[in-house]
Amino acid sequence: MTKAIISVDHFTMKFGDTTVIDDLSFEVRRGETFGLLGSNGSGKTTTIRALLGAYIPTAGKLTINGKPYRVDGSVRLGYLPEERGLYKKESVIDTMVYFGRLKGMSARDARAWSQQYLERVELGDKAGIRLDKLSGGQQQKVQLGITVMNNPELLILDEPTKGFDPVNRRLLMDIIEEHQKKGATAIYITHQMEEVERLCDRILLLKNGNAAAYGTVKEVKKKYGGKSLDDIFVEIYGGRDNA
Amino acid sequence: MHNLGTVFSFEFLRTVKKKVFWISILLFPVMIAAIAAIAYTSGKATDEALKESQSEKFSLAIVDESGVVSPQLIEAFGATVKPDREAGVTAVKSGQVDAFFYFPSDISKNPVEIYAQDAGMFDNSKYDAVAKLLLEQSVSSSVSESVKAILQGNITTNTVTYKDGVEFDGIKTMIIPGIFLVLFYFVIAMFGNQMLNSTVEEKENRVIEMLLTSVETRTLIIGKILALIVLGLVQVLLILIPTILGYLLLKDQLSLPSLDLASLTFDWGRIAAGFAIFVLSFLFFTGLLVTIGASVPTAKEAGPFIGAVMLLIFGPLYAASLFVSNPEAGIVQFLSYFPLTAPIPLLLRNAIGNLQPHEALISLGILLVCTVLVVNLAVRVFRYGALEYSRKLSFKEILGKN
Repeated sequence: MTKAIISVDHFTMKFGDTTVIDDLSFEVRRGETFGLLGSNGSGKTTTIRALLGAYIPTAGKLTINGKPYRVDGSVRLGYLPEERGLYKKESVIDTMVYFGRLKGMSARDARAWSQQYLERVELGDKAGIRLDKLSGGQQQKVQLGITVMNNPELLILDEPTKGFDPVNRRLLMDIIEEHQKKGATAIYITHQMEEVERLCDRILLLKNGNAAAYGTVKEVKKKYGGKSLDDIFVEIYGGRDNA
Repeated sequence: MHNLGTVFSFEFLRTVKKKVFWISILLFPVMIAAIAAIAYTSGKATDEALKESQSEKFSLAIVDESGVVSPQLIEAFGATVKPDREAGVTAVKSGQVDAFFYFPSDISKNPVEIYAQDAGMFDNSKYDAVAKLLLEQSVSSSVSESVKAILQGNITTNTVTYKDGVEFDGIKTMIIPGIFLVLFYFVIAMFGNQMLNSTVEEKENRVIEMLLTSVETRTLIIGKILALIVLGLVQVLLILIPTILGYLLLKDQLSLPSLDLASLTFDWGRIAAGFAIFVLSFLFFTGLLVTIGASVPTAKEAGPFIGAVMLLIFGPLYAASLFVSNPEAGIVQFLSYFPLTAPIPLLLRNAIGNLQPHEALISLGILLVCTVLVVNLAVRVFRYGALEYSRKLSFKEILGKN
């Protein structure tokens, strides 16, 4: 069995009197693409923020490579959060180089990589332009580039296609597949079931802070009588708004 | 402190790359020079216009009950003497003369009365000037030059003071330590807003979550603070250098007071204390403003806080005379030790020389401890407030996080 890169062990998260996650345990194996699924407010983003140290768990332990996450360069992380943005008044290339350097690249390598990436996504001539002068779709491409800088071994993508146009969605899928081939581990947080079917090896469906279903896509489907993931989602979350 | 250099250079370079940074800094000495030039030109033009109006001839009638005004001068001015005040006033009203001066019997107690044709708000001053000139010239013809100088207030003094048997000039000694007070004022006044906004921006732009998974909060905050400090120093140099050059080049043209640099006295103890107070105060307030910025969701909501901080920093200036006259007063001691108000009292008292060494050491200690605390608080607030995109963190929440 492949060794776990991420371990969430009896994780509970409370905000005041509200329990968002209640005694949740799961693992993400090295090299797999893991789907963290659930309706709005089911605790997906909270789990990731706690994993990355932004929230302190009420109880339980969340580790990456066997220890709580710290920004010390020991894990090459590519994180695309749900709430995302960029330094609007800085140039595309300066922003990308800054993040590249924070991720451990030299200034020269970060600049070269950024320029190459921008050429690939047809933004080569926009490198020196301020980010707020780019369209929303162009900014998404830059965010995606920053996420995958320095060849991440762990990709965490929180609703990555949210607000993406079809062109950028295709680009994102291509990039994820490229990193899958390189052996990167990916956590894919979404409620777009067709993307999950295409990309994910194993999935966890969160409901009311608990694991409603957990296993390979095939196992989960089998458990629900061979239904599609869309149907399973509707069955689990019932009449709740899952837009 | 992995990545500290990266954060520092990014924060520093992105500010100095902005045109607005250079415009705001370079505009400052230009504005000061422009204001000085306007004041000088305006003053000169006013003096010239006044002299011109005073030399204008006008017909004059006089009643002198004081007996001070010299009959020869009355004759020289071509003035007519009226029998009484009513006759003089009537002569003005009828247009017979332009002006009538009534000198009462006791001019030390009663005002000289002037009745005249309106010549416009500015030119009306010529009547008052001529009335005073008549009195001055009448008196000065009968007294010595020395008495005349005393009466005109044209006496100068030259004071030599000694301290411990050695010649000592308090004013010349306070100039160098006093520079730190001026520097602190300019740096905070011009840079406070940027300090406050330096941590709000990332929250407003929603870049914070990506950032905090790439760099430690402490490194980010310290990198930002270091960049702000260096930017502050750059700003100080960019203000000082043109100001000094401007002074040296335009000193004579603008009739600026001459400053003999060779005669300045260097009290190294006070200079060192001034420097230490300046640096720690700057660090403390940078940390404080960064903390405030980190606790609010938008720059708009950060705005009101800057007013409160500025009031605390510069409010003690209203008690400046007390710092000079009564440094032992309870309020002076409180303002000197309380970190939020300490910079101005400490820098001012250090400049004038009544800040005792033990007071300087205690207040520096307090500032140092508070600076460390406030930087830690900034890290804490930024870390836990980072994902609060739409609301302010309460003090209870900040302290309640484990």
